Amino acid sequence: MEKILSQEKLREWVDALDDCEVYAPAFADSVWNFARVKAGADIDLSHTNTIGSVKEFAFPQREVFFCFEKKDGVPVLTPTLPDPKPTVVFGVRPCDGRGMPRNDTVFNKEFEDPYYWARRNKLTLVGLACNQPHSPNCFCQSVGGSPHAEEGLDILMTDLGDRFHVKGVTAKGVEAMERGRDAFDAVSDADQAEVEKVHATSRSHSQRPLGNLDAIAEAIRESFDSPLWADMAQHCIGCGICTFLCPTCHCFDINDEVINPTTGEGERVRTWDNCQFPDFTMHTSGHNPRGDLGSRLRQRVSHKFLYFVENHKTQQCTGCGRCITECPVGIDIIAVLERVGQS
Amino acid sequence: MTDNIYLPKIGRIVGINEETLGARAIKTFKVEFPNGDGFEHNCGQCAMLSMFGKGESMISIASSPLVKEYKQFSIMKMGRVTSAFHAAKIGDFIGIRGPYGNQFPLDDWKGRDLVFIGGGVGLAPIWPVIQTAVARREDFGKITVFYGARTSSDIMYEADFEKLKASAEVQLSVDSPEEGWPGYTGFVPANLMDKAPTPDNAIAITCGPPIMIKFVIQNLQALGFADEQIYTTIENKMKCGVGKCGRCNVGKDYVCVKGPVYSWAELKSLPQEY
Repeated sequence: MEKILSQEKLREWVDALDDCEVYAPAFADSVWNFARVKAGADIDLSHTNTIGSVKEFAFPQREVFFCFEKKDGVPVLTPTLPDPKPTVVFGVRPCDGRGMPRNDTVFNKEFEDPYYWARRNKLTLVGLACNQPHSPNCFCQSVGGSPHAEEGLDILMTDLGDRFHVKGVTAKGVEAMERGRDAFDAVSDADQAEVEKVHATSRSHSQRPLGNLDAIAEAIRESFDSPLWADMAQHCIGCGICTFLCPTCHCFDINDEVINPTTGEGERVRTWDNCQFPDFTMHTSGHNPRGDLGSRLRQRVSHKFLYFVENHKTQQCTGCGRCITECPVGIDIIAVLERVGQS
Repeated sequence: MTDNIYLPKIGRIVGINEETLGARAIKTFKVEFPNGDGFEHNCGQCAMLSMFGKGESMISIASSPLVKEYKQFSIMKMGRVTSAFHAAKIGDFIGIRGPYGNQFPLDDWKGRDLVFIGGGVGLAPIWPVIQTAVARREDFGKITVFYGARTSSDIMYEADFEKLKASAEVQLSVDSPEEGWPGYTGFVPANLMDKAPTPDNAIAITCGPPIMIKFVIQNLQALGFADEQIYTTIENKMKCGVGKCGRCNVGKDYVCVKGPVYSWAELKSLPQEY
């Protein structure tokens, strides 16, 4: 389904989704990030890219798996599976959209993750094509994406200035469009031509190049024992921001949090974790398979451009560039891959 | 409804055996499922054990899959969760989820000699294989079990070794000299070289401290064992057990799912990151 939506009628469509929780980028504290939209009048799609990725709608920073307590001396576990309202997220950039099927793979393979899927199944992602790169570090086209890629999105919107072109990509997306059907107009030939022109222009903007992805995977494989990794990680402070902001990083920790030390009542909690932290892989004995910064940088890069490719035939990177832009010490995954490729 | 992969079943400790004493004592826990929701497992698989309020640890299932009534876990006192286990009493409840991981391909080894080489608490992951092989004694050729500990009081499953001698050759060792010690004195890899089991039609299965495994494999190769004849089981830190949390990987493999059992032929093709 393809439709035209005027800027004014965007509000009307959002208001028609009144039984859903609607989120869209909002500018606060100097950054764009997803925030709840209470009324259509609040929506503003003039954003660049959000600082956080859309992954947190299915994989929140902290979530409780179950509560534990003792009744008559016997542990009683109460699972806390989420049961969210249908949630529609507007303004998802195509790089983040492409991140979601990669996360779906992780939370699906071998064992289905019920917490992830309880949220994910209620999620409708409304993408917004990027008419120009938002950052000098964008490289979606270097990892098989595009500024108007539909993969992972339920709807793709394209900003045509005074109006949007809106394409329902999945059945879920079409359903969300039908909810606001009165807001939409038909697509004229001129609209269609303009969408194509905008998309073509968006693809023509220069992005950071990456080279042949198969060659990169091979270069990583061959560089496992290279001193290059330690060299490139020398100034890493191990803060992990690269992975927290990444739309595809999904590593997590599971811990027990005691609420009442007297009764032993508490919660088992999942939180985001990070391969850049030394204790992430440290055995209780103190032995650590990835005990230095170099091996941890190698793990992050290898996971995205070699191991994930070996397991799932695609990169676990969608070129959003956040890890480069937000790194406090200037570690640049593209520069890293270039040096590995040249070694 | 999808199974909740993170929700443990309730287990009850019905037996505790003090294997070894000291700062890093080992106790063996016999665990039953009071709610009748126990699971079957294969040799080499692990389970994620909980002490509610302390957390979870991945522990090898040390009992044979042929034993259906309970599971056994030999746990060294090391960190928060294992220390909580060491403080536990008979009748205490634990959480248990699993089984996780692959298995030793025992069925592929019919008719062959089996050489087991264990060190320290590393005996636990290969113990179910030994027990199952002995229970199916006619399926295999000669069975030899090498096991070494720091001192004679650090030998686990001591009483079981006595029983084992009826169906297998047992070669025990201690690291340093002890008065009256009847077995070998020295490290496990050296004892292996001393007894020099033949590689002909044999499979070697080893587990122990990483440094022991390394030298055992070197020595097995020196004895003529091919990479495909050598099996080990490795562990890394694990949290989820289901191939998602991202920390136990060796290269592309999540050990909790693809491992923990590898032939040396398989393991040497992966990065040395364990």
